[in-house]
Amino acid sequence: MDFRSQLAAELPPLRRFARALTGDAALADDLVQDCVERALNKGHLYDPSRPLRAWLYAVLRNLYISGLRRNGRSTIVKNVDDLMDGEDAVPPEQENRMAVTSVTDALDRLSPQHREVIVLVAIEDMSYRDVAEILGVPLGTVMSRLSRAREHLRQLLEDRGHTGLRRVK
Amino acid sequence: MTKEEIGDWALHAYVDNEMSSEQRDEIEALLRTDFEMAQKVESWQRQRGQLKQAFEGVLDEPIPPSLRATLRTGGTMAARPYLAMAAALALLLLGGLAGWFMNLETAPSQVANIARDAIAAHEVYAVEVRHPVEVSGADKEHLQAWLSKRVGTPFTVPDLSAEGYTLLGGRLLAAGEQPAAQLMYEDATRNRVTIFLTSQPEDEETALHVEQKGKLIACYWRNGKLAFAVAGEMELDPMMKLAKVIYEQFES
Repeated sequence: MDFRSQLAAELPPLRRFARALTGDAALADDLVQDCVERALNKGHLYDPSRPLRAWLYAVLRNLYISGLRRNGRSTIVKNVDDLMDGEDAVPPEQENRMAVTSVTDALDRLSPQHREVIVLVAIEDMSYRDVAEILGVPLGTVMSRLSRAREHLRQLLEDRGHTGLRRVK
Repeated sequence: MTKEEIGDWALHAYVDNEMSSEQRDEIEALLRTDFEMAQKVESWQRQRGQLKQAFEGVLDEPIPPSLRATLRTGGTMAARPYLAMAAALALLLLGGLAGWFMNLETAPSQVANIARDAIAAHEVYAVEVRHPVEVSGADKEHLQAWLSKRVGTPFTVPDLSAEGYTLLGGRLLAAGEQPAAQLMYEDATRNRVTIFLTSQPEDEETALHVEQKGKLIACYWRNGKLAFAVAGEMELDPMMKLAKVIYEQFES
């Protein structure tokens, strides 16, 4: 199968990844578009011994991050080392107190570092090793982010329905 | 890392299918007796299911026409050598060093010295036929213990055999005022590469940088307590691959 056909076969999961990563259908489609363009231009640099999908995810994720940086939102994509510890990026007081209405809503409220990990692991079924490669962080970082992401998500989802009570006090 | 976290990580690995079947059996036995753990696992599994379901629909959506057009006609950018080189760097970084991507734009000056030292040391010793190293690679453990001690940071001598390089050995050198280690490897064609290592005062991570002098090329970076450079006569691509392998061995 030639590279273009391989690429075509990866489009549905790539679109899903972009959608889950950004939470925004239009932005996601732009990213996939850019990602495909880039993959076609730089396809000769893809290492075929590695899964194409993981490579595409890495390309797309980097496009997403450089987009965020261009838009002056660089503070949310901190450098890897800042994230090793104490990375619960949203302090409780800044957290949106509106009720969480759905799992996608809850996902949107995670920090970008937590969101990307849980999206890759839970939605895209990537192995921890592939996730570490895609994100360029050590395996231990993937696991600690995953653990925190799950815990935060669980809290958000469990708070559903209790939010009203909390606001009363 | 607390005891509880280790336990949790095993549970995460279970939920995400990252385990061998024996490990799975062990966890399942645990889950039958530990209600709290079982609840945790169930809540994560439920979460997985909910997340999956929420985005499942995207898979069935038709591919937008603009995207199909790009796929058909895209990729016509004229190849320009410097762009290809930048892309090679970027893509290799993506394949495992993506964290450094962020740093790629920062000035390399603070680590450039090590590249020059590494290149100079490579030029001096790699041409040696009879005495390329002080301590032979046959005595790897001694070499490792000795150089770790002198450099001041324990490290493991990388194994590059999968890349076709065997360890010849290493020697102690000076990098400015501090000790440095040089490890030398050789492939079947007698082409030699050297790794140059020194301690750095503070944990610091930098991007991967490249410096070239004539036919010699060096990749260098800092990670944790060590500063690294790999030098050899080869093309950029294989050198970057080698640097990546070495980086990963020090990472794990």
